[in-house]
Amino acid sequence: MLIALIAVAAASAKLAGALFFIAVVAAVGSASVLIWTWRNRPSRYETARRLDSAAGLQDRISTAVYLGGIADHDGIIGEQRRDALAHLVKVDPRGFFPLQWPGNARRAAMLVLLAAGLFAYRIHHQPPLISLLQTTARSQLVQSILSPIVHAMEKDLQRTVALVTMKPEATGEEIQRGDAVSSSDDLWKADDKAAGAEDQKDAADAGEGDQPQDQLQAPGSQEGNPSGEARQESNSQSQEGKSGNESADDKSQEQSEQQGPEGRQSLGQSLMQALKNMMSNSPNQQSNNRAAQKPSGQGTPQSGNSQQPGATESDKRGESRGNSDAKQKATQTASEGAGSQQGTKELRKDQETHPVNAIPDRVALEASGFKEQTRMKVATETGTAHLADRGLSPQQDAVVNGAEQENIPARYRFYVQRYFEHTDNGKQ
Amino acid sequence: MTSSVGTEGQTGGQPLGQQAEFLAEKMAEVRGEISKAIVGQAEVVDGVLIALLAGGHVLLEGAPGLGKTMLVRTLAQAVAQKYSRIQFTPDLMPADVIGTSVVQENGDGRKSLGFQPGPIFTNLLLADEINRATPKTQSALLEAMQEKQVTVAHTSHLLEEPFFVMATQNPLEMEGTYPLPEAQLDRFLFKLRVPYPGREDLHDILDRTTQGTPATVSPVVNGTQILEMRKIVRTVPVAPHVQEHVVKLTLATHPENRENLLAGKYIRYGSSPRGAQTLILGGKVRALLDGRYNVSMDDIRALMLPALRHRIILNFEAQADGRTPDDLLEEIAGKVCAK
Repeated sequence: MLIALIAVAAASAKLAGALFFIAVVAAVGSASVLIWTWRNRPSRYETARRLDSAAGLQDRISTAVYLGGIADHDGIIGEQRRDALAHLVKVDPRGFFPLQWPGNARRAAMLVLLAAGLFAYRIHHQPPLISLLQTTARSQLVQSILSPIVHAMEKDLQRTVALVTMKPEATGEEIQRGDAVSSSDDLWKADDKAAGAEDQKDAADAGEGDQPQDQLQAPGSQEGNPSGEARQESNSQSQEGKSGNESADDKSQEQSEQQGPEGRQSLGQSLMQALKNMMSNSPNQQSNNRAAQKPSGQGTPQSGNSQQPGATESDKRGESRGNSDAKQKATQTASEGAGSQQGTKELRKDQETHPVNAIPDRVALEASGFKEQTRMKVATETGTAHLADRGLSPQQDAVVNGAEQENIPARYRFYVQRYFEHTDNGKQ
Repeated sequence: MTSSVGTEGQTGGQPLGQQAEFLAEKMAEVRGEISKAIVGQAEVVDGVLIALLAGGHVLLEGAPGLGKTMLVRTLAQAVAQKYSRIQFTPDLMPADVIGTSVVQENGDGRKSLGFQPGPIFTNLLLADEINRATPKTQSALLEAMQEKQVTVAHTSHLLEEPFFVMATQNPLEMEGTYPLPEAQLDRFLFKLRVPYPGREDLHDILDRTTQGTPATVSPVVNGTQILEMRKIVRTVPVAPHVQEHVVKLTLATHPENRENLLAGKYIRYGSSPRGAQTLILGGKVRALLDGRYNVSMDDIRALMLPALRHRIILNFEAQADGRTPDDLLEEIAGKVCAK
């Protein structure tokens, strides 16, 4: 009952009804205990037996009590009674039956004090348990939201810095498509390794049974089917033939948006688009980039489409077979799919006609590598990561030149701005 | 103590309580006299005195040379009673124990059959190595021990009170012996085990028996006083819980008792009601000897083994497991007390 009192004081907003109910229960319980104790009290004979047993009186007292109704002063019963009295006066019953506190009296006293303190606190304050739960839920929610995003941003930053540092070393004439594919394979493996490590970390985090995180995972899983449908649509379109670069770009953009509801992926894409914009705005590469964007745009959706089934299969099987299977499937479907064959052919044609710059390939490669990160579970409902508008293609993002920042949540916008400022300063 | 015990528990003008005190004092004196000849064996001596005052008989079991015969002879001297000893052998006949009819010639010269009493017509009878006699001879003691009479040629002859049989048997030499039947075992109030003396007791025995002259035992009480003491014993009250404990203990030895799995597993036959009677009567005597006027649970616990060990018959499984009546009874008593 004390625990119930404490619970009521800690959680309930209104105490009057609960106090009345507890008072009634306490009164009834006390009366029941008193009645039960009175009805089960030991008899005089039983008390005498216990005293005999405790004091070692050889059943003298109990026998005398049993024979108490017989008037035999001169017989052996009288002798027995006198003998019992003679031994009884030598015995101190308080020494054999000392008053002792019950074993759980200390805990009960602590509970009483706790309940009294809670009620005294409740006179002027709200229920502490509810406010504590709210505070805890907020903090856990913020942590669960921020930690994967910050982690993803750090990773994206590292990749971007790595790309920027690699850019002066590579030229478009030196890099062939096969080399690009091989390098893309290497980067795929690297991305897969990183994704695998992140998956393990996510699994470990999920294993801890963090409730807010589970709640965050639910929307992501619910959006899995729409993304799958989007992939099927994009695949069917790519198999029907390329209806156009823009439509393909739109589809791939829409697919990537639907496929990655997680804020981290969208943020990564936004970063990559920002990087593309940054590179396209550079004076020495701007013309080449604009010229190369169209041919590369043919290859990009093809390669993206060619890798989509692989990614879809890896999504389907990756959970059971692991990241290695997913990587193999992705590679196989990328090389075996019809879309990939056409895309390769057209890409080779483009390579023959136009000098391929390394930057679009790397951008496309990096963008395709993000498909493996679709398993990052961050819900869009939380408002932490908003995707770019579906009507915007990567090309449009590149043209808008900074419009993608509007898609970044306000809380990260400052960070992104600082990041770009830092990158621009580095370039200059 | 010369007065007789009245029906109301009082002697002629002497309260019963004083008689009880007198009994305790006399028995202490008897114990002292016995201790002049018997070194140690306090439990055996107490058991014999309790059985004597309770009106029962004692079966002493022990190795030869432990003073069984000496104890009976000393006790007979201390209580100033007639004493007989029968050495039981395989060729001993019942007539050798209870007597027989013989042709006698009266003063007129006419001859007639007259009863010649056997050695059983005594106050204290020592049946030495009783398990060496045939069951036919052993059964000659049945009527005498229970009915305190013998019947020869359709004529019953009462035995003189107090009649107290002390039988001995040797547990070592079992070859050529006839174990006592259960019916006869049940007639012994106690079965006392005579242990080997300890180191100090053995020194004392050597000093007493190898130096000087044997100690002389003086009579302390007579037969009449013993009979009066037996009546006093029966007036000692017993509390209901003590009697309930005795009943539970007796019933717990029965294999039919489903509450006690131990008895069902190891005991073939449990204690008879004589066992419960023995516990109560022995408890009363023990209480008086201890200066109390009521039976306690400690009395019952102390008398449990000598009163019940020969009244339970173990089955084959108990013998195969090496269980003895004593440890089974201890275990059963522990369970009964725990309930």
